[in-house]
Amino acid sequence: MNTILKLEHIQKYYGNEGNITKAIKDISFSVEAGEFLGIMGASGSGKTTLLNCISTIDTVSAGHIFLEGADVTEIKPKALARFRRENLGFVFQDFNLLDTLTISENIALALAINKVPTGSVEPRILDIAEKLNISDILNKYPYQVSGGQKQRCACARAIINNPKLLLADEPTGALDSHSSQMLLSTIQSINEQLRATILMVTHDAFTASYASRILFLKDGEIFMELRKGNDSRSIFFDKILNVLTMIGGGQSHVC
Amino acid sequence: MYAKLVFRNAKRSVKDYLVYIVTMTICVTLFYSFLSISSSNYNPDIGTEYDFTLLSDGMKVAICMITLLLLFLIRFVNHYMLRRKQKEFAVQSIMGMEQKTIGRIFFAETLIMGIVSILIGIFFGVFCSQFITAMLLTAYGKPYEISWTLFPDTVLLTVAFFVLCFFVVGIFNTRAIQKTKIIDMLSADKENEPELKKSRFISGVVVLFELFTVWGLIIGIQKVFFYYDTRFALPVQLMFWGNILFPLLTLLWSIFCIIRKKKRECFIAGLLICSAWNAFTAASVAALTNKYYLSLGGGTLNQYLLFVLIDLLFFICALIYLISGLIVAWKEKSPEHRYREEALFFLGQIISKLNTTSKTMVIICITLVLAIFMFVAAPILTGWSSGYLDIRSMYDVQVYSKYNDVYEEKNLPHDSYEIITDFLAEHKIDTDYDCTFNLYLPEKDDFHNRQKYDFPITAISLSDYNTIREMLGYEQIFLGEDEFTTQWKSIATEEEKSSFLAEHTSVATDGGTLNLSEQSCYGEAMGETIYNAYTNILYVFPDNICKKLLPVIKNRYITTTENISYENARKLERLFTEEYPEQTESGVMYGIRFSTLQTNSTIANNFVLQAAMLYGAVVLMIICLTVLSLQQLLDAGQYKYRFSVLRKLGVEEKHISKLILKQLSVWFGLPIIVAIVIATVVINYFIQTISAEISAYIGFSTLMLQIGTTVGILVILLICYFISTWIIFRRSVNS
Repeated sequence: MNTILKLEHIQKYYGNEGNITKAIKDISFSVEAGEFLGIMGASGSGKTTLLNCISTIDTVSAGHIFLEGADVTEIKPKALARFRRENLGFVFQDFNLLDTLTISENIALALAINKVPTGSVEPRILDIAEKLNISDILNKYPYQVSGGQKQRCACARAIINNPKLLLADEPTGALDSHSSQMLLSTIQSINEQLRATILMVTHDAFTASYASRILFLKDGEIFMELRKGNDSRSIFFDKILNVLTMIGGGQSHVC
Repeated sequence: MYAKLVFRNAKRSVKDYLVYIVTMTICVTLFYSFLSISSSNYNPDIGTEYDFTLLSDGMKVAICMITLLLLFLIRFVNHYMLRRKQKEFAVQSIMGMEQKTIGRIFFAETLIMGIVSILIGIFFGVFCSQFITAMLLTAYGKPYEISWTLFPDTVLLTVAFFVLCFFVVGIFNTRAIQKTKIIDMLSADKENEPELKKSRFISGVVVLFELFTVWGLIIGIQKVFFYYDTRFALPVQLMFWGNILFPLLTLLWSIFCIIRKKKRECFIAGLLICSAWNAFTAASVAALTNKYYLSLGGGTLNQYLLFVLIDLLFFICALIYLISGLIVAWKEKSPEHRYREEALFFLGQIISKLNTTSKTMVIICITLVLAIFMFVAAPILTGWSSGYLDIRSMYDVQVYSKYNDVYEEKNLPHDSYEIITDFLAEHKIDTDYDCTFNLYLPEKDDFHNRQKYDFPITAISLSDYNTIREMLGYEQIFLGEDEFTTQWKSIATEEEKSSFLAEHTSVATDGGTLNLSEQSCYGEAMGETIYNAYTNILYVFPDNICKKLLPVIKNRYITTTENISYENARKLERLFTEEYPEQTESGVMYGIRFSTLQTNSTIANNFVLQAAMLYGAVVLMIICLTVLSLQQLLDAGQYKYRFSVLRKLGVEEKHISKLILKQLSVWFGLPIIVAIVIATVVINYFIQTISAEISAYIGFSTLMLQIGTTVGILVILLICYFISTWIIFRRSVNS
């Protein structure tokens, strides 16, 4: 398997001299093509900072991030936007859809920004809509559809350009449990059928159990790594819970 | 404690309040500077022959009326501030502060800002009032010097007016804050457009328009019934029928659309075209009445002007309403444009904004048209009236008579107005020239001819004519025996003169036929009263011929050594009107004019008119631009979110800047372009209707210069507003 994303000794500091907060102390890991990686951790563990660094929205203080061999940290600021739109797809907790556009236009915008020939825009939207089961709502506005539908639309927008890496930041954060389940199945099918590489940040064990590998962060470091392997999802879920119990305080504190 | 909070808040949020302070300062400056000349302490040196009170009363009323418009602006800016501070209010109420207190704190903050802007405004107002004084003294033809004085009564009035405004608006705001739910305050800046619903106001506008169209149709039918004559020239006939046909078409189209259940856009598009035609035919009424001397009466003309106005207003409403529809249709039709880079985003922004604010857009458009029209019309009207003044008031005293209602020859005027001679002697006013003269009808038979468009031209004897010329400092003229020449009003065009002279090389009189002299026409200004009613021309006949003619008009022109004072002029006017009233039993109309009185009232009226119109135009313009710019800044919260989405999708900063510029250009450009187009049509019509007067009293080059200056000021104002909005907008989107 070839490595699509590789992080080498990433560090991220905030603040100035004398008052430095180390959001990320030292993190290194790699993601294989077609993998579904989950990153878990409590609030303040640095997971969102990590995601922001990978997505080039934020810069690292030290270390290197390679996406398919290219060093992301070396890209000039002017070329960043182009890099993002050509290589990355985003799914956010609060959907980030534009209320002035219909669902189909929201998806089309991602294509248009990528300068896709106008003729192929509509067929591609119809194709992806069918896969994500949002064909009926294509002509509706975001405020006319449910949260789950909105998030599926956001997924469609994120993957329509076939990004090398799909970044999901708490995708189920704003959804009820039923919609979450539906969305996660969708993400899973994106991973399995469309062979998309996904990096998902979450603090919810159930959401994380859909991933094939999970990194647990604590205080800016990788605390533990968990692989699903051949386990069923429920066993994997229990394992995750165990790790979380361990992180949340640790035995030493209880005693 | 609260006072501390208020001051700290006010100090900290000066930047937030910048728009508010700037707008209020401009308002106060304008108010103070225009009002200062009506102050009782204001005594500019304009000479004894002028009376200043006439001006200041008119001025006060005009300024206060226009300033009421400012209330609207204050309300709008306050609304903007309220929206901006919602989140802060939310935090305060969650902490347990009562909403009543929050309202009061906000009121106190705005009051502090208001008082700051009143102080700055009055400071600038003192500077600006110098311009107004300069303008005033130039109007009276006096040199001016700059003086720095603060008028206590004007300051008091300004402070009182604005503080009252703040209190009125403040009460509304406190109420609004009390009524808002905490949850709504919290999510105020996250909120996207709630729903893209079409505003219902267009339905109301359509109903009103239909009602007026029915009225127009009834009036059209009435006019044809009472006034139509098949002998009218073709354009007049077309006008009569057009005023029935187009309203009828409008109504038929509406009925057709209702029966066939046509789409709303289609229906309104039809009405838009109809309203343009309606406006055209209604506007032709005034133009053709002037040209063909139709006897429709002032009431009818006003009615049709009202129809033109209604049609134009509807045209603007319908156009703005349809624009978003047009953009949607265009977007649907052309995928290659729709799917080109960020076009979708841009179109989405424009359409959603247009849909929710079409009413504001319409109001802004109409106000802009009004402002532009006032800007252009002010110099035309004042130029016209002061140009006319020069021509009218050529003699210190002029007495004139008219025989329009005299039907018996014995009733014609014969007096030589001795009452004036006595008055002047009594008040020791010396005269330089004094000329009492007759105007004659070339042929006696014309006496009973009273048709307006065929009114007889009168004649003056050569000696009287030469006396008047001498009075005015023109050269003497000579006529051979059996020769005549012509004298023309300045309003007469060259074509009119040449075609008349070509047709009238000789003229038949009761004293024999006369031939046109070699020097056939004179155009020096000689006043208005030397010509017969409805004519622009006067014959000059040899004295011996005039003796054989019927004198119909008796005039007397006097120039005095020194100017007659305002008081004496008024006194003599009263005496004269008692003895020679405007309407006499015999039918003769008498009148007296003094250059002193004419100049005084014309200058005062002109000044009030010009100042009020310019003030009004500037106020309207500022209101429009402020509202336009605040509309955009008000939504900065939403835009920030939307542009951040674009950024996350990978759109470069350069494209985002371009999008912002494009969006603001459309937002400012659309109402301004529509307003300019409509205003150009209206002004063109206005200038066409009075083109003769413009060329006679102002001159087209002067007019163009004035219009050019006006356009220049407008463009500068627009650029200032545009750039500042752009900067603030970019900052709030990028922050």
